[in-house]
Amino acid sequence: MQNPPGEEPETTLSVTPPKKWAAGVPAVVHALEYSLAQTSPRKTGVDLLAMNQVGGIDCPGCAWADPAPGRRHRNEYCENGAKHINDEATTRRVTADFFREHSVFDLAARSDMWLNQQGRLTEPMIKRPGSEHYEPIGWNDALDVLAQELRALASPDEAVFYTSGRASNEAAFVLQLFARAFGTNNLPDCSNMCHESSGFALSETLGTGKGTVSLDDLHHADLIFLVGQNPGTNHPRQLTALEEAKRGGGRIVAVNPLPEAGLRRFKNPQKPSGIVGRGTQLADRFLHIKPGGDLALFQALNRLLLEAEDARPGTVLDHDFIDAHTTGFEEFARHTRTVDWDDVRTATGLTREEIEKVRDEVLRSERVVVCWAMGITQHKHGVPTIREIVNFLMLRGNLGRAGTGACPVRGHSNVQGDRTMGIWEQMPDTFLDALQKEFGFDPPRPHGLDSVNSIKAMREGRIKVFLALAGNFVRAAPDSEVTEEAMRSCRLTAHISTKLNRSHTVCGDTALILPTLGRTERDVQADGEQFVTVENSMSEVHTSRGRLEPASPLLLSEVAILCRLARRTLGGKAEIPWAEFEGDYGTIRDRISRVVPGFHDFNARVTRPGGFQLPNPVNEGVFNNKVGKALFTCNESVVPRAPEGHLLLQTLRSHDQWNTVPYTDNDRYRGIHGSRHVVLVNPADLTGLGLAQGDRVDLVSVWADGTERRAENFEVVSYPAAKGSAAAYYPETNVLVPLDSVADISNQPTSKGIVVRLEPTLDRTRPAPA
Amino acid sequence: MAHEDDARQAVPNTPGTRTDGDGVTHRRPLRERHVEETVEVGVPVRTAYNQWTQFKTFPRFSTVVHGVEQIRPAVTVWTIGYGPLRHRFAVETVEQEPDAYLAWRGLEQNPSHQGEVEFRPTGPGSTAITVRMLLEPRGAARFLTRSSRVTRLTARLVRGELMSFKRFIEGLGQEGGAWRGTIRNGRVQHDRPEPPRSRVAQWPVG
Repeated sequence: MQNPPGEEPETTLSVTPPKKWAAGVPAVVHALEYSLAQTSPRKTGVDLLAMNQVGGIDCPGCAWADPAPGRRHRNEYCENGAKHINDEATTRRVTADFFREHSVFDLAARSDMWLNQQGRLTEPMIKRPGSEHYEPIGWNDALDVLAQELRALASPDEAVFYTSGRASNEAAFVLQLFARAFGTNNLPDCSNMCHESSGFALSETLGTGKGTVSLDDLHHADLIFLVGQNPGTNHPRQLTALEEAKRGGGRIVAVNPLPEAGLRRFKNPQKPSGIVGRGTQLADRFLHIKPGGDLALFQALNRLLLEAEDARPGTVLDHDFIDAHTTGFEEFARHTRTVDWDDVRTATGLTREEIEKVRDEVLRSERVVVCWAMGITQHKHGVPTIREIVNFLMLRGNLGRAGTGACPVRGHSNVQGDRTMGIWEQMPDTFLDALQKEFGFDPPRPHGLDSVNSIKAMREGRIKVFLALAGNFVRAAPDSEVTEEAMRSCRLTAHISTKLNRSHTVCGDTALILPTLGRTERDVQADGEQFVTVENSMSEVHTSRGRLEPASPLLLSEVAILCRLARRTLGGKAEIPWAEFEGDYGTIRDRISRVVPGFHDFNARVTRPGGFQLPNPVNEGVFNNKVGKALFTCNESVVPRAPEGHLLLQTLRSHDQWNTVPYTDNDRYRGIHGSRHVVLVNPADLTGLGLAQGDRVDLVSVWADGTERRAENFEVVSYPAAKGSAAAYYPETNVLVPLDSVADISNQPTSKGIVVRLEPTLDRTRPAPA
Repeated sequence: MAHEDDARQAVPNTPGTRTDGDGVTHRRPLRERHVEETVEVGVPVRTAYNQWTQFKTFPRFSTVVHGVEQIRPAVTVWTIGYGPLRHRFAVETVEQEPDAYLAWRGLEQNPSHQGEVEFRPTGPGSTAITVRMLLEPRGAARFLTRSSRVTRLTARLVRGELMSFKRFIEGLGQEGGAWRGTIRNGRVQHDRPEPPRSRVAQWPVG
């Protein structure tokens, strides 16, 4: 265990060649090194050995699925999961003394890493209007302050209730119930910023908002596409599934602007071959695509498949599937035959020969899975790109069969479950009707605000109260300066949190920190010890039960905080048994079973080993969209372009980072050490721009509103990024993403396709942004 | 997994099926090296078929099946074994026609087995069940199992399992459940607007 840093550590950048493989022994060493710096060997052992086990703690990190019960490894976690869980289990504590010592302004000048490293929050705190410091407050008073502010609003729509993907199903259900009983659908969530494009595209085309594959489908696929995702860092346990697919003879095509280590080779540290051997080669083909070129790639592939069918009628396309289960094929085919190869070349940076080789891989494969993540969804044309991926899958019937399907890989452990529980500003009437029937109140029907529109409403003064269930909204959101201004314009901001982050320091006139239990901790309520439930990226619903003693006796669970707040705010407005919910989470699950489709017998089924899997209609031959069939779509070609002297920037995480929280300044897979204020640029582009490695530049984004958005003082690193593109770390470069730059249809911020120019930094003494 | 020279037949060619020029899929008996066993059970074909579709109940009568997980209608995971030995594998049901027929194949990339089960009414209260199974062991297993003795042993095992099923369903008298869906080419066909299991959240998940 190490003490928290007193001051920001001073480090300098060093750059080494990017790694060509992921995990291996270094993954174990780094995981243990970080874990033991945070907590004791005993706690580390307890939480790691319970992690992702049946009846154990669900990793609060990514949403990757667990193997079936009986098939799990004794150490069923990855390097980043181990870091994440021990970051929560840390023995470091943030006390009232800490807040006396540090003003809000002082804290707002600190880095994300420094704030996180201070440790766990231990008691409720309030920053009163005009004060520069947080001070302790009792739970009753804290919740009264919040409830009074909510009750004083002119309209319930002057409040926003944000949810992060860490929240459990039970907490999410209670939050949306409270918000709707209060009278608003203002329920933005982190999904708005990560996979909203996936949800919209899949719902429209297939009638399901979720992916269609299970782990077994990946294991049995002949060909897996990894598009716009970096499994080595963001979903490391996916590497094990990919390794198993390779062992069975499957092949992998990776499509990415950066040649990430986790796409190339995997050394499984749980196997001798991963410790002393060369590990498993992952990508058989790597397409070094330009950011945003994926739509053009899949359009080109689809055109090639149609032409292959023309050459050998009846042998390429799955006509049985197309005829019986889809609609719109003829129009799609006509449209796709017009795809222009020059546009494809410009958009993708790939040659026709490279794409034809992938076509040949597809033709040799009976079973194809396409996985994608935010490298797809966070583009302006994210929804059309995913529609085109669905077109691609449908052409050869790669849906609804074993070893096939669409796999949006989600990034936070219960982000999918929270949405299933009704955390969405646009919930359909069927859900609201069920809520009305179960609880006897009239839920509001007008749609609420998503994340982007919440920020706009806050900035315009239409939102007075902001409550966040977990997360770090200020840092996760785009256009950092605008978001911070919006947050500061609120009358009251409140955060249910485990650890300190920047959202606590950029706050409203009044600000509350409501400290809560973590996933790792025992949750004891009136009816005894509780567990919560989560839903992973493959629609498996299972339990999570904490094992460690809480970081402080004053912590309340998320469910308890929300139930107590609801009682104070609503009084007798709706006959909802909040006290019963708080005392026994099983009573919440009983209600969920009657409101949320697919959750019948919830309490009984979820306690079976491994829980249960929600069926996916697509795998049962059902397409629940408007047309009742899988829908071929015609998507206009998009050629992302940056003006002369500009680059297309994508923001990304480092390997030592979880969402908005960097654990260190290192990113060892990419060979970046000691600094996060770097911009990765292709050497040819550097030459063209007259820059060299080590130069200091400001990143300036270009947007229609003419506002200058600038991230200052970044060091240039020559890197094999796709030509014409650049990459820099999130959240430091969120400042460059205009709030109005959103994906069509889904309104998701476009953090992967920002036009930037690099201007030499004039004043190098200026500190880099926090 | 398909190979380079399979490109001309890239559309899945499932066991137990053949496709005519008119695109109609027909059942095709396995004619190659296979095990074939038939048993007559004293229940109507609907009862026999319905019970057979309840794969999770196989351990109740089988001596070698220790567990079956139904992943989804067309995918099951089987754990079989003898003594302390266990083998777990996934199986895809590629064709299924109520009261008539079912064809499967292993989901390993190099399928080691595939087969079909046929249900034929032989009277108002009796049904002939025929299991045909093609074993394609790979690697060392191929060497070890190439003798005809192994094929005879497998046939005896299949016959024993069929006899166990006969005693099971005749003893029960009626089926304990049913799945009456149709599967073509590994994909569930739906003839009703919305099967019960598909009633799940349909809203977009971000």
